Amino acid sequence: MTDVEWILKGCCYKLGHDVPHAGGVVPNRIIVGRHFDPADIIPHLFEETDAGFHTRCQPGDIIVAGRNFGMGPKMNGYIAMQALGLGLVCESMPFLGYRAAVGCGLKVMNDCTNVLDICDTGDQLEVDFRNGFFINHTRDIRREYPPIPDGLLEVVALGGNTGWLKKWWSDQNSSGNAL
Amino acid sequence: MSMTAVEKVLAKKSGKNTVRAGDVIFPDPDYIMIHDGVVMNAKRELDSLGIHRLAAPDKVMMVSDHDVIYGSARAAERGAFNRLAAKQWGVAQFYDVGRGGHGHIFPMESGLLLPGMFYFDNDRHATNAGAIGAFGFRMGAEISRVLATGTNWVQVPKSVKLTLKGRLKPGVYARDVGFHLAMLIQKKKFDVDLDYRVLEYAGDLDQFSLAARAALCSSPTEIQAYGVFVPPSEAILAYARQHAQRPFTPVYADADAHYEGEFSLDVSRLEPQIALPGGVQNAVNLSDAAGIAVNHAFVGSCGSGMWDDLVQVATVLKGRRVANSVRLFIAPGSEASTHRLLREGLMQVFIEAGAIMLPAGCGPCNDAVIGPLHSGEVSISTATNNPAGRFGARDAKLYLGSPATVAASAVTGKITDPREFMVLETAL
Repeated sequence: MTDVEWILKGCCYKLGHDVPHAGGVVPNRIIVGRHFDPADIIPHLFEETDAGFHTRCQPGDIIVAGRNFGMGPKMNGYIAMQALGLGLVCESMPFLGYRAAVGCGLKVMNDCTNVLDICDTGDQLEVDFRNGFFINHTRDIRREYPPIPDGLLEVVALGGNTGWLKKWWSDQNSSGNAL
Repeated sequence: MSMTAVEKVLAKKSGKNTVRAGDVIFPDPDYIMIHDGVVMNAKRELDSLGIHRLAAPDKVMMVSDHDVIYGSARAAERGAFNRLAAKQWGVAQFYDVGRGGHGHIFPMESGLLLPGMFYFDNDRHATNAGAIGAFGFRMGAEISRVLATGTNWVQVPKSVKLTLKGRLKPGVYARDVGFHLAMLIQKKKFDVDLDYRVLEYAGDLDQFSLAARAALCSSPTEIQAYGVFVPPSEAILAYARQHAQRPFTPVYADADAHYEGEFSLDVSRLEPQIALPGGVQNAVNLSDAAGIAVNHAFVGSCGSGMWDDLVQVATVLKGRRVANSVRLFIAPGSEASTHRLLREGLMQVFIEAGAIMLPAGCGPCNDAVIGPLHSGEVSISTATNNPAGRFGARDAKLYLGSPATVAASAVTGKITDPREFMVLETAL
């Protein structure tokens, strides 16, 4: 598999429960305008709740959210998070949202029960998405959560579905399987 | 280890002895279905990557059901594109317009999709497969990976079990059960969240025909169920054996299978339901909506497009006329049903009643590419769902009911309990 750093170290950016994709993650116009280019989406990430977020975040920072994050299958915000080098940890998100996030190549851990209780914005976090470790260095707390399943590591490592398909087809051609 | 029905299907298709909820697997499907609305995107995506051949063209079912009568130059262009794509890809089972019908209906009716099978589908109404005891898995845009490689990742969903108790009263149908169930879940009467869950039915299921089972699959899908499974009865198995185009092995849950939740519903006192505008979960007893004038009526869709649904409608329409103020559209689920309507005289009933016959397919249920509503109009239909704008104008009011309720309402021009016609027939 592609050499990927599965551990992110950075600042916590804490959100609440039931954050909608439209308005809560990116403005609705980004969704209905079908913007999928990261450059188009990045300036608008969390724009309606925290304008300028993209200028302050750093690669490795972790977005920590509560239950029902994204509230649906939309993917635009995950494209921006992945391009910015961020990770996502949440208590729950609708499955189609999770599938979309994985399909964008975002490092994401779902089903992290009560994770909001053990961190706050600005805490120094270390999250191992491959092994499911969540460490809050500021508070000296360590938890284990469900990691990215083995079967999905390759998709995430290759930057999402399109990257995976490119690699797969390249491998097919190399091995002579492509007709 | 004991398994639910869908866990068993997924274990079998991924070559494992057991799977459990949360496992990530790569099942080998019996079919790969893609409908006419998304072929263009998938083809262009794969072409852009230089992928011009499919992993298993013999398994691919390409179905033209969403836009059957081209009402625009763009639709005609898409149809032409799809035909070329089917040829270039070497799709073995290409059901072009007028050749198969509704992709979530005719494969079950015709013995292509059989108990115990698994297939990938771009569309979320793949849940209909549960009617025959199979499992269809919605892939969305990721159907391109399935087309290219033959599979894709599936995280085994959790299952919840719903036991139906009692028999439905005459004039009350499976769609009514679905609307009522959606309301109960929405109002938290049942402590269950169907997001990415499989709803597995149990209990007094012998009363439900294949059409009724498709209806049972419909409303849970609209409140986020990812799969629905109705264990096949003897009658369903007999139907499947009679029509099977290939061997099959039915699958049933183990008696001690683990479910995330188990609940039960007594349907014996259920009244006909109407889903008020906004969603299937807005269900009320029909008596609370009776008398509302309608302009537009439609029978068809994943939830109510099978043969028995058409018979329900014909029973009400026979010898009657659709009200002058109403336009009634009927879209059979399969070309085979259209032919049977002709053979058995039901087509004559529909035409003489003044109904407008549509070709087999989705009908107005696909974003009203045909049969839309104008601002302020009112519809009653058997569509899968009724959010604002689904049938055109956003301020049109969309009500849902069973096929019999829609037919009765089309005759009177207002929302009407179908039992009024049944009483009349008894009296006669």
